[in-house]
Amino acid sequence: MMTLSLAVRNLLRNRRRSVATLLALAIGAASILLFGGYSANIRYSLLTAYVTAGGHLQIQHADFYQYGSGNPSAYGLADYERVLQGIRQDPALRDMVNVVSPTLQFGGIAGNFDAGVSRTVVGIGFAPDDINRMRQWNEYNLPIEPPHFALEGAPPDTAIVGLGVARVLLLCEPLKVGNCPSPQAAEKATGARLPDDIAALSGLEDGANKKQAAAGPTKARIELLAGHGRGTPNVAALQVLQAENQGFKELDDVAVILQLKQAQQLVYGRAAPRATALMVQLHRTQDMPAATQALKALLARLVPGQPWTVMDFETLNPFYVQTLQLFDTIFGFIFALIGGIVLFTVGNTMNAAVTERTVEIGTLRSVGLRQAGIRSLFVTEGLLLGVAGAVLGVTSALLIATVLNRMGLTWLPPGSSDALPLTLRVWGETRMIVGTAIGLVVIAALSAWWPAYRAANLKIVEALRHA
Amino acid sequence: MHERLNEPVAILTGVDKSYQMDAVTVPVLKNIDLLVRPGHFTVLLGPSGSGKTTLLNLVGCIDKPDRGEVVVAGCPINKLSDDELADFRSANIGFIFQSFNLIPVLTTFENVEYPLVLAGMAPERRKRRVTKLLAAVGLSDRANNLPGQLSGGQRQRVAIARALARKPKLVIADEPTANLDSQTGAAILNLMRRMQERYRISFIFSSHDRSVISAADDLITLRDGVIQSIQRKKAPVEDLDSVHSDFIDTQAGA
Repeated sequence: MMTLSLAVRNLLRNRRRSVATLLALAIGAASILLFGGYSANIRYSLLTAYVTAGGHLQIQHADFYQYGSGNPSAYGLADYERVLQGIRQDPALRDMVNVVSPTLQFGGIAGNFDAGVSRTVVGIGFAPDDINRMRQWNEYNLPIEPPHFALEGAPPDTAIVGLGVARVLLLCEPLKVGNCPSPQAAEKATGARLPDDIAALSGLEDGANKKQAAAGPTKARIELLAGHGRGTPNVAALQVLQAENQGFKELDDVAVILQLKQAQQLVYGRAAPRATALMVQLHRTQDMPAATQALKALLARLVPGQPWTVMDFETLNPFYVQTLQLFDTIFGFIFALIGGIVLFTVGNTMNAAVTERTVEIGTLRSVGLRQAGIRSLFVTEGLLLGVAGAVLGVTSALLIATVLNRMGLTWLPPGSSDALPLTLRVWGETRMIVGTAIGLVVIAALSAWWPAYRAANLKIVEALRHA
Repeated sequence: MHERLNEPVAILTGVDKSYQMDAVTVPVLKNIDLLVRPGHFTVLLGPSGSGKTTLLNLVGCIDKPDRGEVVVAGCPINKLSDDELADFRSANIGFIFQSFNLIPVLTTFENVEYPLVLAGMAPERRKRRVTKLLAAVGLSDRANNLPGQLSGGQRQRVAIARALARKPKLVIADEPTANLDSQTGAAILNLMRRMQERYRISFIFSSHDRSVISAADDLITLRDGVIQSIQRKKAPVEDLDSVHSDFIDTQAGA
């Protein structure tokens, strides 16, 4: 108790130096936490983006992830409806699952033949009402307003395209896409028009399409060509309802989203429809391991012997893991850098204290304080500086984060096509806060150790002689 | 008990001590033989550099000799570890320094209390002991003052109270009046003398001021690291001198 009391009083004795050290510690702690808060927000934003788009888990054919996009019919899940119902009724999964929805992904070519342009695309079929429910998922209370999925309640031959697809297919004007100027010297397309047989094939898909095909150049229409399950091409004429930001430029440049039934008809024709994945969105991300186990058990029961597998969104989206690793590395680097600064700042302060109090150390030793007592005294002072600095740093970080979050700043993440709100997520990140605080306190104590050791080993007579 | 009362509080036998200054070894004490009698007021007299402080450091167990043996309160200090020495000092020796050396962040009360805290004494007992000591040195009304709020004389009185807190066998005072004006110095000397008589504690202090001679029971004069003379002004408590008469005569003639 006396050691603690002495340590506190000694720190208060040279207030200016103690405050300077405290500020260095606090600024260090706040910097680490603010970056950590920024990093945490990116993690939650990315996670939310992936989970709202594709769920936490997906049931796929074991080889679909590697080879399926080129030949979805070969890797489609037959009889998926039975599994879908099984998931909805499973007692273990029922409480964990928010939405389970089939999806069909395939490769194709989308063309705006009126404009004479086309490009390869990734077609994705969704069940629109499920997608709107999935988009409402916001476990981390991010300040986002999920866009309404426009295909819900729309005619079956409608589609949504990514902003990049809209730009390349010259659909910006009819879709009223902002910041999407037409090419300055767009040459009239010299390519051949849609061959008659393909156009006729498309017409067979839906007679109504013919009417829409003649609707005029101001309508946003595309023809989507996809490989049929039997190896022959199939075409659907689609009315594009809107161009929607897909979050990532790579996806924005290739995405053509249509209704699941339309996609199934395009890919499988009159054959039994399949899905390339069942997206499973959970209420809580932390349930992923339990849900994975339950899904595997369900698959073993419902489709024994089938090469169906359960994949999590981290496996399906390596960019997510890579981004987190990058931020974790930067966080570690910043922590090490600031830890080094703290080490030297506190060490310097304690060294100065030892030098200033050399005679006092000699006196304390004379009256019977052991070497360990001197060590405890200085290490306690370092610890107190660390604790006070960490508390001040955490408080500052929370205040700064609150102020910045309310300023409504935005930032453009790498690879993203849209600015996001700049949110520093410090509050609630208990593990990060406690870890940073403990880390800095330990560093402060460690940096006080050497001066404390030096003080304890001073020869008493030399210490008393010190001027 | 009778034997303990007569036991010399410190015996130095054939003690050498030198310090290293850069590459040069400077001998400070040379072949010192000394006996410090219990319950006496012993003064080390000598000019600056004569080795008074070094001798006090050895007797005070804050330094060890290069050669020879130092026995304090019956304990050969050469054999004690650093922690054992700390505990020994805490229990047996009080210090009064020229520059007072009070802990500036502790109040008068806490400075006096500190050795008792180290000894693990119960708070109530500590309070009683400190209150009594502060009254004895006339500082009861300054108990809550910090050293910076006290005069030089008051600070030295706090140091005296601190030195006496654990009822030590020996109090070491290194030029305790050197930083005080002559009037305050005389008062401090008087106080130390009174304390020594009241608590029957051995005092050994150094000075280069010849005016302190009148206060001494035993006067040891040092010059160039050797004892020049030992004068014992009072009769010994028992027949201690006769026991060590050869030893003392030899030193006196040195």
